[in-house]
Amino acid sequence: MPLVEVAELEKSYRVGEMDVPVLRGINLQIEEGEFVALMGPSGCGKSTLMNILGGLDRPSRGRALLKGQDLGRLSDGDLARIRRDEIGFVFQSFNLIGRISNLRNVELPMTLKELPREERRDRAEELLEAVGLGHRLNYSPTNLSGGERQRVAIARALANDPSLILADEPTGNLDQKSRREIIEIMNELNRDGRTIVMVTHDIETTEYCSRVIWMIDGRVQEEPS
Amino acid sequence: MKPKDMLEYVLLSFRADRRRALMSSLGIIIGVISIVALLSVGQGLYGGVTERFSDFDMDLITVRPGSGMGMGPGERPASTPEEPAEFDDRDVKIVENVLGVEAAYPLKTSRALLSYRGDNTSATVVGLSPENHDDLKEAVARGRFLTGSDYKAAVVSHEIAEEYFRMDISPGNQIRLYSDDEDRYMDFKVVGVLEEDEDPTYASNAGIYITHRAMEEFLDAGDYHYDSITVRAEDSAEVEDLAEKIEKELSRIHRNEAYNVEAMTTRFESMLEVLSMIKYALAGIGGISLVVGAIGISNVMMLTVRERTSEIGVMKAIGATAWDVRTLYLLDAGMLGLVSSVVGIVLGVLVSDLVGMVANIPQEVTVQSVALGLVFGVLITTVAGIYPANRAAVLDPIVALRGE
Repeated sequence: MPLVEVAELEKSYRVGEMDVPVLRGINLQIEEGEFVALMGPSGCGKSTLMNILGGLDRPSRGRALLKGQDLGRLSDGDLARIRRDEIGFVFQSFNLIGRISNLRNVELPMTLKELPREERRDRAEELLEAVGLGHRLNYSPTNLSGGERQRVAIARALANDPSLILADEPTGNLDQKSRREIIEIMNELNRDGRTIVMVTHDIETTEYCSRVIWMIDGRVQEEPS
Repeated sequence: MKPKDMLEYVLLSFRADRRRALMSSLGIIIGVISIVALLSVGQGLYGGVTERFSDFDMDLITVRPGSGMGMGPGERPASTPEEPAEFDDRDVKIVENVLGVEAAYPLKTSRALLSYRGDNTSATVVGLSPENHDDLKEAVARGRFLTGSDYKAAVVSHEIAEEYFRMDISPGNQIRLYSDDEDRYMDFKVVGVLEEDEDPTYASNAGIYITHRAMEEFLDAGDYHYDSITVRAEDSAEVEDLAEKIEKELSRIHRNEAYNVEAMTTRFESMLEVLSMIKYALAGIGGISLVVGAIGISNVMMLTVRERTSEIGVMKAIGATAWDVRTLYLLDAGMLGLVSSVVGIVLGVLVSDLVGMVANIPQEVTVQSVALGLVFGVLITTVAGIYPANRAAVLDPIVALRGE
């Protein structure tokens, strides 16, 4: 069974009186351990697809399965649990919480999962050390560079050991050097067996990807392996 | 998310954003201060008055000529406009003969100008029958009390003797009383000075006591009538029945005249009722400021939710449920309420002490006022947090994250 299975997936948004289609019938399978790049022009529906795969949005028609569960049929509460336990989000703008320390940012998904405090702390420290920020545990994310912030965000995405990492242009806001660092980290994660789907505009960042999926106008264009 | 972790998260937020916490709590702090302070002052007034109506006054009944307008408890209903009753010694005798009456003291009160060694002040002159007033007799600090045979002799209150004139008045001194129109005067020899704080309810602080005989001559009026007859009951438990009996007896000769017979307990009760109303009215004013404070909290929280839109989006993206978010922001409001209420109570106690000291108003901080302050502070703040917390809970994470 593939980790992700998308069949005849359609999504449209209502704008005034009109239904505006964004996804027009997507068929797609992602196996465990893949590192997939999702590319295409702005407005082609990449982010919408990511949101549906991550349980933030619901399909209008068709199915999106994660580990065999139909995401469109789950309750809001179950979707929240899927996001918490199965998905690790990495955003272009990092989306860390500036008022709390890096350590607590990484702990947050585990706090939501109600893991014991000791376990949370140990794992958060471990993860931050793994991305090279063991010396920045109690700093606020606001005191970090962009590349460092994205590394904290990656540590947070890994907190509950998710089965799928969804990265939405993770290098979009970074300089050349940081971009390199993040791509190397993503590659390492993939080599450790993690499944990653990454939206990107930059062909350079796809060098480690096992597959690039092109999307145009709400459809998958081609799938060169 | 566990409650303990939520609490920690909320407290961390307070620490990181002290300005927000302070701004939103200020309104609640002021509201709780006013509730506690106003309730304490109200309670103090209540307690102060209760204390002044000491036990021995509870067996008193007052008989007064009425206005004929049917005012107040115990007054006879006025079906037709009535003349005020005029009481004289015959009425005193009637009252004295009612079963259960221990004594009846007729009083006549008048304003007068008091002159002593060239200085003047206005004072209340009370005409009385000396033999009846053992309570005043016991309250004499210097000199002696009046006797039935005294004529141009006077006993003065502590205030008059020691606070109104450059020179204190002592027994043996001469004082001069001018009647209201100031064309007549009478000289009196002071025979006694009362103790401080000794003011039976029928007298006043600025009182000069003389005999009825002297009063009659001083006023120089054709008919001399008493202002009131104060009646002491044998049994304080039966004053209300006794008041009714006295009223019935008097009605025989004052058929179509207005007067009222009022037991002190009745007056005391209605006074307590009014005081209690004042107390809660004061608390109500405090409550209004608390509501205003709560609206302030609601506003600041709405701003906070807007400011933290992306944070709420992140929380949801990494697995927070609507329930988690709602509880988190309700707890935020509740904690603000708790902390501000405690601060408000401490400051409120200080403020009521200060007000009590500066304005010389009796005040009394009670468990009740502290509890009211705390409960209302926390409750109203939490209620104020419901709307913003719901707004946060129903935020669409995609919109919230895009809002960056």
